[in-house]
Amino acid sequence: MFINFKGAKTYVGTGGKNLETNKTTICFIHGSGQNHLSFVQQARYFAYKGYSVIVPDMPGHGFSDGNPCRSIKENAEWIYDLLKELKAKDIVFVGHSQGCLVGLELNKIYPELLKGIIFVAGSNTISVNQFLLDLASSNPKKAYKMMVTWGHGKDGAMSIASWPGHSYFGEGFNVMNMNIEDALKLDLEACNEYQDGEDASKKINIPALAVLAQYDQMTPLKSGKKFVDIINNCESHILDCGHFLQAERPKELNLIISSYLDKLENIEII
Amino acid sequence: MSDNYKFDTLSLHAGHIPDKETGSRAVPIYQTTSYVFKDTEEAAALYNMEVGGHLYSRISNPTVSALEQRIAALEGGTSAIACSSGMAAMHLVVTALCSSGDHIVASSKMYGANINLLQHTMPRFGVETDFVNPNDPEAIEKAIKPNTKMVFGEVIGNPGLDIMDVPVVAEICKKNRVPLVLDATFNTPFLMQPFNYGANIVIHSLTKWLGGHGIAIGGAIVNGGNFDWGDKEKFPTISGPHFALGGISFWEEFGPSALTAKIRAEGMYNFGPSLSPTNAFYLMQGIETLPLRMKKHMENTHEILTYLKDHEAVEWVKHPDLETHPDHEVAKKILPKGSGSIIVFGIKGGRKAGQIFIESVQLASHLANVGDAKTLLIHPGSTTHSHLSSEAMKEAGLTDDMIRLSVGLEDIDDIKKDFEKGFRAAKKLIK
Repeated sequence: MFINFKGAKTYVGTGGKNLETNKTTICFIHGSGQNHLSFVQQARYFAYKGYSVIVPDMPGHGFSDGNPCRSIKENAEWIYDLLKELKAKDIVFVGHSQGCLVGLELNKIYPELLKGIIFVAGSNTISVNQFLLDLASSNPKKAYKMMVTWGHGKDGAMSIASWPGHSYFGEGFNVMNMNIEDALKLDLEACNEYQDGEDASKKINIPALAVLAQYDQMTPLKSGKKFVDIINNCESHILDCGHFLQAERPKELNLIISSYLDKLENIEII
Repeated sequence: MSDNYKFDTLSLHAGHIPDKETGSRAVPIYQTTSYVFKDTEEAAALYNMEVGGHLYSRISNPTVSALEQRIAALEGGTSAIACSSGMAAMHLVVTALCSSGDHIVASSKMYGANINLLQHTMPRFGVETDFVNPNDPEAIEKAIKPNTKMVFGEVIGNPGLDIMDVPVVAEICKKNRVPLVLDATFNTPFLMQPFNYGANIVIHSLTKWLGGHGIAIGGAIVNGGNFDWGDKEKFPTISGPHFALGGISFWEEFGPSALTAKIRAEGMYNFGPSLSPTNAFYLMQGIETLPLRMKKHMENTHEILTYLKDHEAVEWVKHPDLETHPDHEVAKKILPKGSGSIIVFGIKGGRKAGQIFIESVQLASHLANVGDAKTLLIHPGSTTHSHLSSEAMKEAGLTDDMIRLSVGLEDIDDIKKDFEKGFRAAKKLIK
């Protein structure tokens, strides 16, 4: 759905269902240079399972107008305001890559807001190499191609997708190409500058889930494991794919999230 | 770790890695109509397009999907749909984008069946087409109306071998917010990838060079994912609510893959032009050697061009790689590896000589196909267009003496020897 939010046309995907915020709300937040289509195989899945799904395009990304946020904190504040605007309750946050940093910060600033937090291919620190930062500024399209190549595992490289007929390299590039040109550069800079991840990780006191990728070249597995070790009460899984694991292993990821959500509901009952 | 594999590697591998359970190196032929659901939840997820997977082979099939993913990778598209023929592919695109009252701008110089569909069939369903010279970008722009839903043409025209200046036409389409749909059968992604020049949708007859062996009919639509379908009034079939799936907007839910999702959910589901898994397997076998075959096709084509252009029995030769071709400069720009392996030439002695030539060659096959590994010939004046007068042939861009040659992969000396037999027989009769 399109809404006018903070004076800008903003797209918020709802997984093909009307938003019913009296239910548990799953808020999916995309990574650097991505948009709501990052979660194309999760949004409809969980909306049709009866959850309320919010999957926004951050400002300047996908179908949303406006200027991209310039820091992880600014991203977190924007999402907080959006969740309030949409009157979302019982929120489970799912972040991919940069979205994980945003989730950490959101939970740090508003510790009572979330009831669960899920990190997909994430870490608490994402340092970006200078070459990619420069390329995102000088030649964003080339940077998209590079990220799409680095971001997929062997399946993606061989054009293998569970979605019939799809090729994630072509699709990934065109998803990134929907955003305004500055979006990737500003996102990567925001990641690179974020220093509060370790502190924010230690402050997590809600059930957490981390799903990491064995062949992740964007947020390497080693960094992801170190991150998971800091968090209290964090269930973790490793899938044999690249950074865009929600595309490469959608069914596995959905089942892991479903199981986590079931446990979360049971915790409440107890 | 991911690699950006090159064309030759993708031709062999894209769409398939060895089967985890059986280790099968080749793509298995999943000769099945349907797929057992693990539970009702999984069935619902597939029906609702929540996740990818296979429901029923009219809509998708694992072997066909491997072929689709290979073609999408070779073209650099987001996704592809393989179907029963090139004409089915074209029909699927037209019906995905157009409704009664809509309009198409199309090349006036293309394959007869493409023209038939747009000129005679689609008007019965309220979709009108204006045909324009594909080499006249100004005429293309002038023909675009507010209700135009696509500009359609061929990269290399069949049978006239006109070359569309794709980047120029693509710019016009972009300016007017109309997708450029190209039939890229004659060039294949080996010679030219239309998305690199701004095209938005590519269709193929896989029967021809991609399959390459004359054993299976098939077609494909490749989605470039580079067109903005967001104007709901202009493109309601893609961005407006769909009649099923809870009124889904394919554009909002699938973005760059919206067109593919639309065709899969409506065209394949409602019309059913599915490709058989066995034919998909045959076509994939062909694609494995596409780079090798195309190199040899072009080598032989250039040899035959040299041979024909100096031959005493030949009146004229037409091929975009010849400097005498009116589109030679465009061909050099967008088809640097060569402009395909179709040659048209005129034989001295007119219609009768053409007929004798065709009947006298032994190695080249006289048939209505192109793009086979074997050399193929047809003389439109005595076959497909024999009912037409010389004047009517001219109007259709054909001549009495014209022979269409699809250059194969045989030893070049044998092709030439075979042609000599044909030329000698024609000459003897004319004398």
